[in-house]
Amino acid sequence: MMRLLKSRELLVLILLVGMIFAVATQNHAVLRPLTLINIVNSSLFLMLIAVGQMFVVQTRGIDVSVGAIAGLSAVIFGFALNAGLPLPLAMLCALATGAAAGAVNAVGVVFVGIPPIIMTLGTLGAYRGFMRVLTGGSWIESIPQSIKSFAVTRYLHVPLMVWAVAVLVIVVAVLLWRVRAARNFYAVGDNADGAYLLGINVKATRFAAFTLSGLFAGAAAIVFVGQIGFVPMQTGNGQELKAIAAVVLGGVSLMGGTGTVWSAVIGALFLTAVDSMMIFLHVPGSWNNAVAGAVLLGIVVFDYLIRRTVHNRQLAARAAEMRRAEADQERASSATKTREMAS
Amino acid sequence: MQSESKTPLVALRGIWKVFESVTVLRGIDFEIYPGQVHALLGGNGSGKSTIVKIISGAYKPTAGAVEVGGVPVALGKPSEAHAKGIYMVPQEPHIFPNLTVLENLTMGLAGERAENARRAEKLAAEIGLEVDFSAPGGELSIANQQLVEIVRGLLRNAHVLILDEPTSSLTRREVASLAAEVKHLTAQGIGILFISHRLNEVLEMSDRVSVLRDGHFVLSRPASELTADQLVEAMLPEDFTPPAADAKTSCKVAGAAPVLEVKGLSGRAFRDVNFEVYPGEVVGISGVVGSGRTEFAEAIFGIDTEATGEVIIAGKTAPERSPQICQQMGLSYVPEDRHAHGIFLALPSAQTISSGLMSLPGARFMSEAEEHKLANGFIDRLRIKLSSPMQSAKTLSGGNQQKIVLAKTLAPAPRVVILDEPTRGIDARARQDVYRIIRELTADGVGVVVISSEVGEIAEVSDRVLIMKRGRLGALPEGITAVEQISAATFDAKGGAGA
Repeated sequence: MMRLLKSRELLVLILLVGMIFAVATQNHAVLRPLTLINIVNSSLFLMLIAVGQMFVVQTRGIDVSVGAIAGLSAVIFGFALNAGLPLPLAMLCALATGAAAGAVNAVGVVFVGIPPIIMTLGTLGAYRGFMRVLTGGSWIESIPQSIKSFAVTRYLHVPLMVWAVAVLVIVVAVLLWRVRAARNFYAVGDNADGAYLLGINVKATRFAAFTLSGLFAGAAAIVFVGQIGFVPMQTGNGQELKAIAAVVLGGVSLMGGTGTVWSAVIGALFLTAVDSMMIFLHVPGSWNNAVAGAVLLGIVVFDYLIRRTVHNRQLAARAAEMRRAEADQERASSATKTREMAS
Repeated sequence: MQSESKTPLVALRGIWKVFESVTVLRGIDFEIYPGQVHALLGGNGSGKSTIVKIISGAYKPTAGAVEVGGVPVALGKPSEAHAKGIYMVPQEPHIFPNLTVLENLTMGLAGERAENARRAEKLAAEIGLEVDFSAPGGELSIANQQLVEIVRGLLRNAHVLILDEPTSSLTRREVASLAAEVKHLTAQGIGILFISHRLNEVLEMSDRVSVLRDGHFVLSRPASELTADQLVEAMLPEDFTPPAADAKTSCKVAGAAPVLEVKGLSGRAFRDVNFEVYPGEVVGISGVVGSGRTEFAEAIFGIDTEATGEVIIAGKTAPERSPQICQQMGLSYVPEDRHAHGIFLALPSAQTISSGLMSLPGARFMSEAEEHKLANGFIDRLRIKLSSPMQSAKTLSGGNQQKIVLAKTLAPAPRVVILDEPTRGIDARARQDVYRIIRELTADGVGVVVISSEVGEIAEVSDRVLIMKRGRLGALPEGITAVEQISAATFDAKGGAGA
């Protein structure tokens, strides 16, 4: 029971389902398939940057520049499309931008030794500034509207974009599960010294985490532009904190070493669903952030209490074990003494 | 079990190691043969850990050669030592608490995953690691964590295992089963470098014992020819001359009530600790790493709040323990690790010193002039070398940093002071200054508790000696402060004064 409760992904998933059914008692419209599909659809952007963020948090880092990276990648994507590049090539440009921006963070953190929060705060400003310089501060419109076909085309009533992200997430999950090097993210976050002593390349692992974070922000940019068909200057604004909240909610410890892709997926779904539920309950949108924050705090505190209970039980068991061993020893030695005295 | 005619698995040939003009190792020759357990002994600063780090690839020697199987090698990092069949089991096992036991075992291994898992299960069964392989590593007991480290080494086909203080946090039964594992390993031709403070275990488990002092070996003989007393004698500092009985005058105030009484204090790493400290007296507490000495000091000072028992400071029972309450009642504590807990490296030294007053009730404001007056008083009294009171501690030597920590501790004019490893990492001159400061404190009627793993230090400063061993505190007979007896009791030697 304890172990099941300790699976945070499951806990949040149950809460998500529970929340939807609870709201359904007030408003049946929530349970319409279209509503649920829309929630998933609008969570895609957050989901992708959260998956990237997961790698960084897992290795005990933090990346607050992902929103800016998504914005910058969206601008490059828009430019590429407007320049008449074919869609696959334009997508590649967006992904390359994201990966390169992530790699810059990685160089600062891994090789220069700047704390992740400082480095990525710096690049958050730099990338946003760069985005403004490139566009002169104006939105990129007039993007060929064929880009929206991904978002509009539906297969089994579900937008093609959702299918694409679902496939991507499953591929990442399988890779993380099957590829040995993927386990290095956990090892480095859990105990970096131990990982080094076992011959794991700690620097390469952390470098990969930041680069992947950028890469997924680039992918998120493609989804974003595909869904709305233009690039506003606010693209990705504030999403970095939401992404961190999503992965923490889903069970990636800020101390590193825990969490899965599903943490990011379920965390992003949950935060997006909270926003939608507010609408169905006719709560003004201004409440969204406050409610999402309260839910996040509640779950994290609950989780901490469970972990602390388990930990204290282990310590108590160890102390009892030591005491028992010592008592046995004393009994044995006093028995020998009695025997010696008798003989 | 051993045959010295074979080629050693690992050999050090004429190893020297110099750190920034401090020579730590002076021409070390050392071998580990197949099937041999070679114990390495030595006090703090003898160079023991440097030897281990050179063999395990963490340090490169300044001069001399490391040979593996008779061939000179250069070991740049731990993974290169692993590739040569050398694996170090650290005192604190490196466990990934969130990964499964199986992943803990196989992390970083090359080769087929299923094959690694199969080998890990086979080796774990052989070595007696009987746990749920899918449970998280954080749930393993210390003994099993050590077995995980040993299996990691065996999975890397290690021929040489370095066991660094493997028994320090184990129960007696766990030690016995570890000894059985070691026999099992040596029977397969694996060589073991064994490091321990517990002399009886060293004599029981090893084939050969080498004692290190000041960077060279002073003794290296088969264990069967040695007694614990011989080992204690070999470990003592060469220049150590026991202070003449009359030279050491105790300032203990006759008939006064104790300034510190500890009654039935029990915590995680120690239990039922009882002792008292009288004004003007230096009580030395001798204990090896892992004996519970730091844990119990932290419990007295209220850092560990889960301990149970009574602490009476200057005749008053502490209502509840916290560092703030202890300081207000007249108890100060100098922690073992000054960088982590004792000093504010970036602040001006004057502010670090005056920070000692912050927990006192009353005065909440202090003018800069007052602060400097306070700081200058201590700078003169403790002979701290500073260009100005505004100089930050970061730029100071270890000895001067420690004096600033002492000044901070003494600023609230405590009735009793606990000093944990007060001279760790400072030079001989500063060490003498610290001893002088301790003497001056007792002359003022302050009670002093010195906790140390260096028996020479305990012998030098103490009026009365207590021994901390496996979480229990025992006293040496009144008036005994000779270094031989303290060593024998601390290191668990047979025939020594019992604790």
